[in-house]
Amino acid sequence: MISSLQLHLSKIFLKIFLRNRQAILFSLFFPLIFIGAFSFSGSEPQPFLIGVEDKSNSPFSSEFIENLEKEDLFTLINGDFENLKLSLEEGEIDGFIVIPENFEEIENLDALKFYVDASQARQASIIKQAIDRSLVSIERNIRNMSPLFSVELEDVKSRNQRYIDFLLPGLLAFMIMNLSIAGSGFNIVEYRRRGILKRLFVTPIKPRDFMIGIVLARMAIVLVQLSVVLSIALLLLDINIIGSYISFYCAVILGTLIFLCIGFALGSLAKTQEGIRPVVGLVTFPQVILSGVFFPISSMPELVQPIIYSLPLSSVVSSLREIANDGASLFSFSASTIGLVIWVMIAFFISIRFFVWKEVAR
Amino acid sequence: MNILEVRGLEKSYPDPESDKNLKAVDGISFILEEVQIYGILGPNGAGKTTTLEMIEGLTDIDKGYAAVNGINVADNPYAVKEIIGVQLQSNEYFDSLSLKELLVLFGKLYQNNVDPKDLLNKVDLLEKINSKPEELSGGQKQRFSIACALVNEPKVLFLDEPTTGLDPQAKHNLWELIKELNLSGMTIILTTHNMEEAENLCHKVAIMDKGRILIEGNPKDLIHKYDQEHGNLENVFLSLTGKELRD
Repeated sequence: MISSLQLHLSKIFLKIFLRNRQAILFSLFFPLIFIGAFSFSGSEPQPFLIGVEDKSNSPFSSEFIENLEKEDLFTLINGDFENLKLSLEEGEIDGFIVIPENFEEIENLDALKFYVDASQARQASIIKQAIDRSLVSIERNIRNMSPLFSVELEDVKSRNQRYIDFLLPGLLAFMIMNLSIAGSGFNIVEYRRRGILKRLFVTPIKPRDFMIGIVLARMAIVLVQLSVVLSIALLLLDINIIGSYISFYCAVILGTLIFLCIGFALGSLAKTQEGIRPVVGLVTFPQVILSGVFFPISSMPELVQPIIYSLPLSSVVSSLREIANDGASLFSFSASTIGLVIWVMIAFFISIRFFVWKEVAR
Repeated sequence: MNILEVRGLEKSYPDPESDKNLKAVDGISFILEEVQIYGILGPNGAGKTTTLEMIEGLTDIDKGYAAVNGINVADNPYAVKEIIGVQLQSNEYFDSLSLKELLVLFGKLYQNNVDPKDLLNKVDLLEKINSKPEELSGGQKQRFSIACALVNEPKVLFLDEPTTGLDPQAKHNLWELIKELNLSGMTIILTTHNMEEAENLCHKVAIMDKGRILIEGNPKDLIHKYDQEHGNLENVFLSLTGKELRD
């Protein structure tokens, strides 16, 4: 159980943190900038800009254009061939359609020409499908037919998955890692440099008490900071957390424990403030790139995926994402939540192994 | 009973310049009777601080034996820490905590509920109770670090160069404090390279150089024996340790 000394120590560490306004603001700065950027840019995909040159100017061609305008996918711009070609080349529009003069003459109609930038093949096929749809419906009108088949889209997951929904759990995991490693690792190095650990060592304090004091205080700090960022994201970006908040916060607590312990080990390994920065960078930077904070791990080369999945940040990111995006429970013991628990044990072990009071305090 | 006993203490460090080990402390023995002030004198690098740190349990003892109040330091460092008070050369504390908060914290480390006012009154810092250590002057800082060392009402107080860097007023003020503590029944062991301090305060001094005790005794006896001409401890010190510069 937690002793009164450990509680007193954690209160002291909290006090120290709360009196350092600069550190508080700074730790919220990065995630809030991210969220701010997303809330202003809007994360919905932009509609395609399509140019149209209507050479026929007939009821048919206006009906065709009207049909196209109904598509959410497009925004239409009128213009003539030369101008539209120039805009396409400069990347201002995504493609343009030329409606031939004889659009009405169904019998010997020239092909409708759709000009695209060949490097944008994916968009081109989407646009072409929409044009086809529009043409089919015009044809039906002309021939007085009603559609034989109809398709209604029904989202199986019945929810919108935007990039920000995917990104947020990654960002929070990233935040947990940074705050935790800084909270234990950087503080230890600083306290040692100033001889504070040495002063503590000559009292009967046990290293366990010191570590638990820091862990409790930092845990509270991380939880509050994370909640601030999360609630701002919920309010501004209309994020959906599908799973239970209990699962979500349990995963957060386990993740914080992992990185606090890793921080203790790193802080014990690096002897100086100059020394700890590269060491921490070496541990955190590859994980930020690899562990699926910004894009899914499944987009990585298949050969290295198993290694990436076994990184500590990956287990935190995947667990949070499963809970937030897929509504999983932490207690369903998926691969990532088991990974999370295994990492807590590994991190605990290495922190005990490296955080030797006598060595660290000197 | 001797409150402090040290026999044949040795400590080596790897020498960065050669492959060999450097002997920082090379076979030191002394005993300290209760309610004495004992001074370890020596030039920089003589091994004074290492000696204290071994007795405090901060540094492992390579060879030899150290006991405080009959408790072997190597066997039971925590029991020793309970009954000693330590003032280190560097005296920095956690940021943004007041003297009061720091004293309460130090008390808790010994499971003691201390009265910060009483402690600060002892070291004449009562009016600074809500100040931060970084707002104190050099002499006040030293007095505060002594207050921190008193939270567990120690049997032996360790002071490592307590007056280094202080102006004469602050120095004399601190000497008075050390004398008062001694008069109230505390055994004190201190290191210094200030001869005046040793002459003024200590019942017994050991002059140390290159990891060894060269001579030990009552300051007056030492002066009588080694420097009848000038009559001060500084000449005893210089004649024993030589006049070349130390780093």
